[in-house]
Amino acid sequence: MPQPSAADRTVLRGEFVDLRPLAVTDAELTFRWRSADRARFLNAGARTVGQQADWIATRPATEHNFVIQRTDGHPVGMVSLVDVDLVNRRGEPGRFLIGDEEAVHGIPAAVEAMKLVYRLAFDDLGLVRVCGIVAARNTLMVKWQKFMGMREEGLLRNHLFLDGQFQDAVFLGLLAEEYRTTTLPRMDALIAAARSR
Amino acid sequence: MLDHAAVQELVLEALENLNEERDPADRIEAGPRTRLFGADAELDSLALVSVIVDVEEAVSSASGRTVQLTDDRAMSREVSPFTDVEALTSYVVELLADPA
Repeated sequence: MPQPSAADRTVLRGEFVDLRPLAVTDAELTFRWRSADRARFLNAGARTVGQQADWIATRPATEHNFVIQRTDGHPVGMVSLVDVDLVNRRGEPGRFLIGDEEAVHGIPAAVEAMKLVYRLAFDDLGLVRVCGIVAARNTLMVKWQKFMGMREEGLLRNHLFLDGQFQDAVFLGLLAEEYRTTTLPRMDALIAAARSR
Repeated sequence: MLDHAAVQELVLEALENLNEERDPADRIEAGPRTRLFGADAELDSLALVSVIVDVEEAVSSASGRTVQLTDDRAMSREVSPFTDVEALTSYVVELLADPA
């Protein structure tokens, strides 16, 4: 199945947030998010807005890069599905960052954004597995991913150079059947909790 | 069996655990009326999951019973158990009161 170019991709719509394709015009905003302290667990990115724009412009068709935005259009973060391999039917969710935390208090932005990414991966693209790494010291994200059904498949020692030092990375994987039996119900429970008043 | 006060202590400990992971400026004041999730809430979904996981583990460890805080029962309630500390505490006490 051929993959559409980034420009051809459409907005993935949710109840609280949408995922719209990342565009070069997002360079300044995403550069600011990635330069903030809360992005310290992501790989080092562009050093200037211009570099960020170049990076966005050169994303390959195997990547699905999104801006997470509230349904009122306010951008709050970014997330990606990369290294999509339609032969082995796997991909890697990543570059997951809530850049504007104030804007998502009480809104299940992170969980719904990831739900939309998983829907793209497992339902639209037909992948059977997603996997990726998280910095071992990013304990909130490791805890979150495991709660959402990811299983720890290994520990990669000194795999990342972040914050001026080498750090271990946790390798996590999720199969399509685990997504349907574990991940989706838990995501739906959290989204339902946000509806409650 | 864990009583209401003991469960509330475990919920507040989970919030303190979360605070330790956060920058000082982002820490929340943990008390019985602290709003957790939903309108005017203190937590985003990433932080709420941390609290859920810690509470499930702490309650299971202290009571010897496995509790699931995000099952169909939680979803079907008119008022979410994640509204505030008191609601979560009461929900856990309710779960523990069920026959094992």
